[in-house]
This record gives sequence, structure tokens and C-alpha cells, in this order.
Amino acid sequence: MTDQEKIAMLEEIWELDEGTLATDTVLADVDEYDSMAKLSLIVLMDDEFGVKLTGDVIKGFKTVSDILKLMVIA
Amino acid sequence: MLTEIKNVKVIGMAAAVSPEWDSIKEMADEDEVTIKRFIKKTGVSGRYSASPKQTTADFCYAAAEKLIAEKSIDKNQIGILIFVTQTSDYRIPATACVLQHRLDLSNECICFDINLGCSGFVYGLNIVSCLLANTGTKYGLLLAGDTSAREHSNLRKQKEGRSGTWLFGDSGTATLLEKEDGNSLRFLSNTDGRRYKAIISPYGGWRNPDSPDGRTHYAVMDDIAVFNFATEEAPNQLNEYMGMTGTTPENYDCLVLHQANLMIMKRVAKKTAFPEEKMLVSMNLFGNTSSASIPISLVDKYGDTEDPNKINALCCGFGVGLSWATVAFEIATSGILPLVHTDEYFKDGYNLDDQVK
Repeated sequence: MTDQEKIAMLEEIWELDEGTLATDTVLADVDEYDSMAKLSLIVLMDDEFGVKLTGDVIKGFKTVSDILKLMVIA
Repeated sequence: MLTEIKNVKVIGMAAAVSPEWDSIKEMADEDEVTIKRFIKKTGVSGRYSASPKQTTADFCYAAAEKLIAEKSIDKNQIGILIFVTQTSDYRIPATACVLQHRLDLSNECICFDINLGCSGFVYGLNIVSCLLANTGTKYGLLLAGDTSAREHSNLRKQKEGRSGTWLFGDSGTATLLEKEDGNSLRFLSNTDGRRYKAIISPYGGWRNPDSPDGRTHYAVMDDIAVFNFATEEAPNQLNEYMGMTGTTPENYDCLVLHQANLMIMKRVAKKTAFPEEKMLVSMNLFGNTSSASIPISLVDKYGDTEDPNKINALCCGFGVGLSWATVAFEIATSGILPLVHTDEYFKDGYNLDDQVK
């Protein structure tokens, strides 16, 4: 799966326009990245990649690429 | 822990709210997109909130009076009154004692409060059942509810905590149990106090009487920890319950989950192989109503049923504690009353002069 495909998944769950996110986008600058968005991310990671995200891991995400690194199909 | 209590039955249920329903669109001062996302993800589009003088006990009182009247119950035969709430009338005495007086129940009545939230209905049912099975009384009354919307109206406005201000609704419920030979109730109950900080109202008790900002009545929630807890532990417990009782989703007419938020509920249904159409959703109208959410969902779904039948409901409450519990029971839909609206409150007439007399 390419980074572009993964970014498209994030844009879909966060209901962002295509092209809003890039690998170096800083999450703190994304208005829509609130607690509800984080819950959507937990669901996506669990369902699609079998990754269980904890609060500490989520707190460690600074940019979009930090999330992409975990979007790996086992 | 699995508990089986013999010779008890759930025979009636009622729920009360205020007359006014507030739409989130009208009460929220956020931009339209944020509100739309909130409604879609949480499933909450509005809620009933208590008037400034109404407490949980007022809603429970209205629901209980209606239930007792409709079922034509002799009040002298009610020997148990348990009030599950986190929003009691007074620090002391237990509000259950005041409710015994207001409902004019006999002095031969066991009354006390239980401090639990989202798991509280199932825990309360467990306790009332145990007491009923082991005493000579005929009926037991479980009153459960909270005025969390009132509490959260004090919440600080901040990005992370915002959802709490819209998520909760105010209500009170009453559930009536009767001794009946041959019928039994089975409960599965868990607690993980190690995670007690996940949902906490830290100030105003004896541990931290004063808060740094002088405002004591608000709760804080670690959204992510609670989401992970609910989507793991609730389905595990439900699956364990079905395994222990030799049942499958096919054996139940409905899955009644604590109305935490729609994302959590959908995941629980999925992980327990329940078709979503069997999962009751009432939080669109009522918000998250804490310990009232299970009975209020049944009232919402079956309270106006014109074609009476018997349903088998599988119920799971999960939340503050952290605490979670599951029960299944059969109930005739004719015993589930239509929603009660009330704007009345208890005028206790209390003033400082009472202290010196």
C-alpha cells in the first residue's frame, strides 16, 4: 500500500477533502484532528491493520507520517 | 463473576425526563461542520436536560409513581428501594431514604444508594434481585439515573473535553421486580479499579475537597482509554455471558447497551455478532444518560407498543469505575410504560433555621 493510499484512508475517516494531508502535515495544525478523529483512527487501525492504539501511542503522533509507519498489514 | 438469582422477575419499567428537548444544533455555539461530525460519530442529536431545581430523584420519583399506579401495586408490599446515582440530592442522607418518604413506602423497607454510573443499572438489578430472593417481601424497586447534563454544563470549554458538554442527558428510571417461582436472573459482573482515573470527578469529595479553580462539580474523561476499554471489555463479557448461558444473538430480541456513543456501540455489536438492527439506539434523543441508559432504551423502543408480547433483552452496562456488567431478562412489553415527562421538583423547604431548632 502506498503512502498516498494510506493518506486517502485518513482523509476519508476524518472527512477531509482529498489532498488536505501530506506525509509532513503536523497533526496539531489539523482542526479536525480532535478526540472524535482519534477514535475513528483507533477503529481504522484495528479493523484494517490489526493494530491496537493506546492513548500514549496516539499522544506520540506528531505528523501524518508517524501514523503511516504503523499502517502496515501484518 | 457469574451470579444466578432464583425466583425473581422483572415486571415493569418506566422512565422520566423533563418536558423540553434541546437540539444540539440550537444549543451549541460551534461551527456547523463540527456539530455535524459530532452528531454522526456520537449519534446524539439532542437531549432532555433538567431544570435548575430538578434532580435525578425527581425523575425517578415520577417514573416510580407512574409504574406503581399502572401496575396497581400495593405500596406496603415494596420492601426494597435501591437508588443508583452519582447525582444524589444530598451528601447525606442517602436519597433512597428521602424517596421512601416521597413515595410513601412502608417502614419495613430496605433503602440505600449506590454510587455507580454506566454499569449501575445492571449492578442495581443484581442487588435488588439478591435482596428480593432472600427476604420475605414481594416487590423490589430499582431507581436509576443521573443529571450528567447539569453536571457537564460546568465543564471547561476546551478542544479535548468539548464532547462531554453535549453528550449527556438527564433522566431517571424505575424498574420493578417481583418474586416469582421458577424464573431466574443471571449476571456477569466485573470491575477494574486500576483504571479509576479514566472517568473521575476528582474534586469536592473528602480526598480533594477544593479544586484549583474553585469549581468542584465536573467530571473528566480520558476518551481514548474509555473507548478502548468499552470496545474490548463489553464484547468480551457479552461473549462470555452467551457462552456460559449457552445462548447466541438469535435467542435475544434486542441487545441493550449502555448508550455511550454510537461508534462504541456499533463495535460492540460487531464483536458479539449481533445484527445492528437488534441493537437499541436511544441516545440520538436522550444522549448518554449514565445508569438510566438501558431502561430508557427499552422505554424508547417498547413503551408505546400497541401489540403486546414478551421480549428477551440482553443488556450490558460499562463505564465509570471502571465497572461493567451483563444481564439478560424477559419482560412483557405491556410492563414497559410510555415515557413520562415532568417539570416537578421536591420542595424540601430546607433552610438554615432547621439546623438550630
